[in-house]
Amino acid sequence: MASEPEKVVPPVEAPVAEPEKAALPPSTTRPTDYFAVADVVLRLLVFASALVSVVVMSTSKETEMLPYPRPAKFTESPALIYFVAALSVAGFFSLITTLGSLYSLIKPGCCAKIISHFIVIDVLLLGIVASATGAAGSVTYIGLKGNTYVGWGKICTLYGKFCRYLGASIGVSLFASVMLVLLVLLSVYSLSKKIPK
Amino acid sequence: METESYTNGGGVAKEIGIANKQTIRGNDFVLRFLAFVLTLVAAIVLGVSKQNELVPVQLVPTLPPINVPASAKWSHMSAFVYFVIVNAIACAYAVISLVLSLANKGKAKCLSLTIIFFDLIMMALLYSSVGAAAAVGLIGYKGNTHVRWNKVCDVFGKFCGQVAAAVVISLVGSILFLLLVLFAMLNLHKNRRH
Repeated sequence: MASEPEKVVPPVEAPVAEPEKAALPPSTTRPTDYFAVADVVLRLLVFASALVSVVVMSTSKETEMLPYPRPAKFTESPALIYFVAALSVAGFFSLITTLGSLYSLIKPGCCAKIISHFIVIDVLLLGIVASATGAAGSVTYIGLKGNTYVGWGKICTLYGKFCRYLGASIGVSLFASVMLVLLVLLSVYSLSKKIPK
Repeated sequence: METESYTNGGGVAKEIGIANKQTIRGNDFVLRFLAFVLTLVAAIVLGVSKQNELVPVQLVPTLPPINVPASAKWSHMSAFVYFVIVNAIACAYAVISLVLSLANKGKAKCLSLTIIFFDLIMMALLYSSVGAAAAVGLIGYKGNTHVRWNKVCDVFGKFCGQVAAAVVISLVGSILFLLLVLFAMLNLHKNRRH
């Protein structure tokens, strides 16, 4: 049977009987599974950046006097609504997978079958987050630069704070999608290491 | 897959299949070919989309409106430019990876991993281009009264139809890229050492 580095050999008898505990060989301690740790860290980053994106875009409201008060909110554009919805879904699922792989890190080998399904969730989330970033990015770019051919004016000269919040939110979601790519690559790499030569 | 056959005392031949060389499957040919075709069609449909119309413009309220020629082209909108470029890159990549995976047939592991890596990147880029073109198309279709962006699809109907068709075709193409990544992952998972 091939030895798996993530299986724990619990040294329950050793600390009780031996008085010279410091002379224990280090091979009885659990070796650090860098893949599992990196997995948890990346998932946590994805969740954090999805949360930050949603919060920043939801709080981006700016009211300008035009001469009447005219607010600019994210609910006025369907693309931005889709962005908030998609990133909320991504944050929710990444929270679940973070907790799952954290649990698997603490108790190794408990639910390897479920953990191996997490990669499917990661790939689907990558598609959703990438499309949301593209949609919000294109709308914000038109708001930034305007489009003279169709007569769409710039709005960022008027609503500066709103556009800054949008830009920051989209940048953070771009970071989230890069983290998701790294996560899938990590899973692929760790799966490929287990393939017999 | 190599097979061995041996006969025991009763004359019954057994065949044992040993999976040794064909570890990472490289035969997602159909998916890659379909993805190539679809992204090519999407890029071409949006790339040749152009519509010229005479738009009535009212300069002064007393005079009758003047017909001004206006044209809608994909190059007027940066999101459509991004869409065409990304679809062209994905189409070229589909051809290259088809040739590479045909030549490789799962032998060299690092080539298969590189193909999976680039499949993933292409999938993310394609999805973002679909999202961008769909968002801009939706603004063109419905307009946005809050920021005073008028709808253009009532004037340029044929152009909007071509945009919609290209977006749908590219969406199917990006779903194919997603399936490519998922099948590669499934194959890795099946072949791993237990």
